[in-house]
Amino acid sequence: MFNGVEIVNLAAYFGAAIAVSLSSISAGFGEGHTAAIASKALARQPESSDKISKTMLISQAVTETCAIFSLVVALLLLFGGATKDSGGIVKASSLLAAGLAMGLGSIGPGFGSGFTGAQACKSIGRMPKSESDITGNMIVGQALSQASSTFALVVALLLIYAVPDFEGLNIYEQLLKAILYFSASIAIGLGTLGPGSAIGYVAGRSSDMLGRYPRQRAVLVRSMILGAAVTESTAIYSLVIAFLLMFAV
Amino acid sequence: MTKKKIIWLFIIVMVIQVLLSFKLEYKINVGINPDTGKFGVWNTHHPTKIQDQVTEEFQPDLYLRNQGIEPTIYGSRKLYEFFQIFSKNGAINAFKLIRMILIIDIVFLAIILYMRRNMGSKPSKRQLVFEMVYGFIDDLTTETLGKQNAHFTPYILTIFLFILSANFIGIVPIPGFMEPTRNLNVPLGMGLVIISVVHYVSIKKSGFKDYLKGYAEPFFALAPINVIGEVSKVISISFRLFGNVLGGAIIMLVVSSLTKYVILPVGMNLFFGLFVGTIQAFVFTILAVSYIAVVIFD
Amino acid sequence: MEGMEFIAKAAAYFGAAFCMGIGALGPALGEGFVAAKACEGIARSPENAALLTRTMLLGQAVTESTGIYSLVIALLLIFST
Repeated sequence: MFNGVEIVNLAAYFGAAIAVSLSSISAGFGEGHTAAIASKALARQPESSDKISKTMLISQAVTETCAIFSLVVALLLLFGGATKDSGGIVKASSLLAAGLAMGLGSIGPGFGSGFTGAQACKSIGRMPKSESDITGNMIVGQALSQASSTFALVVALLLIYAVPDFEGLNIYEQLLKAILYFSASIAIGLGTLGPGSAIGYVAGRSSDMLGRYPRQRAVLVRSMILGAAVTESTAIYSLVIAFLLMFAV
Repeated sequence: MTKKKIIWLFIIVMVIQVLLSFKLEYKINVGINPDTGKFGVWNTHHPTKIQDQVTEEFQPDLYLRNQGIEPTIYGSRKLYEFFQIFSKNGAINAFKLIRMILIIDIVFLAIILYMRRNMGSKPSKRQLVFEMVYGFIDDLTTETLGKQNAHFTPYILTIFLFILSANFIGIVPIPGFMEPTRNLNVPLGMGLVIISVVHYVSIKKSGFKDYLKGYAEPFFALAPINVIGEVSKVISISFRLFGNVLGGAIIMLVVSSLTKYVILPVGMNLFFGLFVGTIQAFVFTILAVSYIAVVIFD
Repeated sequence: MEGMEFIAKAAAYFGAAFCMGIGALGPALGEGFVAAKACEGIARSPENAALLTRTMLLGQAVTESTGIYSLVIALLLIFST
């Protein structure tokens, strides 16, 4: 009943659509927020316009990372060759799950990185002299924030490429495998929502403080990295649960 | 001057590799040829399907068996059976991991011994770099742990430099080179060692009785949760490193073969190898120091 | 494997995924808030940086306990069915 290449292709197309559409929500919002705050800072400090716009562009490029990851997953789902030759409900479920994992997983980092970029632009407007320090701090914070979208991407790629064929199983066992892969995607997708945005908040506040107290750069960057690293641990628990659901059960 | 030369050399080697793999779909191997048994350079056909490439990179034994080839190491079946001690179905992975760690250790030792021999009160440029790194980690430990605990610095520095070089070695464009931290065993082992040090410091500071009492806080029934909290520290510190490095490796592989190895992999190599590698090494170090600090000053 | 057993297993796996996914949300936001405020405090009084960092770590460890509870429940759901 469920064996067929059509249902696999259908799931792949649907997963691609989910990945790109969900990720573009947060990336679009984040970049727009950055641009809005940067414009505000520009209106206040027109003489340092080049510095502010440079930082804005860098931050938008890093914020775009999670959207690019989603685009990669979507392209793989459409043209990756995983859909052509094998059938079955397990394959269909894992391809749909890959799209869902990447789409959900890029929401948090998008919002977080956008907030960081906005605070950095505001901070440069206040203290144009320490532009390079603030930009460096911002990039490190955004990279930490995007680490959770990297986790989602790992799970999505494994779902696309590391799922074996289950030909000999009966219908209940196949359905159970399908549910397992789908659950893994939900665990990692929802699990990166909080850490991604919270790390962005941490990095944003520290960038803001760097603009007010530029002398405390070393200790500020260090405590930001430490706080962000501890905040990330729940995303890592989700990654562990997703791996267990995929490979250990 | 030298920095520019190194960058140019890197770019040229990458471009040559890109051209070869793009044009010919062949992979260059250096070492003992499994067919002829002679040492040298030879080509093997490179798989073009992404699925095959992922399997070949991460489960080489399985890939070879699927192709109908009996897996060997350097053409020797005996060596393969020896490495099956470590892992029944992943002997090639175990061999690669041990090889990479040995390479890192030897390079590391050679650099350190060379630096020690040529140390002087009038520091050369190379010595300045090492002194800068040492001072950086020394500042970190003395500021977090206090001046009386400066004896932790060599240990922390060793961890930092090992993870840093382990993350960096993946960008060396030699076939077969990979980051040892990509294998879960390395980060998990390092996390276990770090948490053991934390517990050792805790027992040394407060005695074994008070150390056990610390688990029964705030009341006795929560003891299992406290134990799980300690275990989760190991999981979070090691899976953070593992997930980031593995993610970089998988993304590199898939994007490179999607773009047919043109231009983009160089930039991604730099981002995931140098930038993310440095950040994750630093995060690992700073977390280790902070765990020790919480125990010492609690 | 038939009807009821299948439903029980499927529900357990779904439950584990939702448990860890949603359980990761709150602790992460809370820890992020703690870390952000600690950064502000360190910027205002850098002489207390070591004390503030330790306090931040302890606070985050307590905040994370709910995340660890979800992890435990998810593991139980996966391995006890």
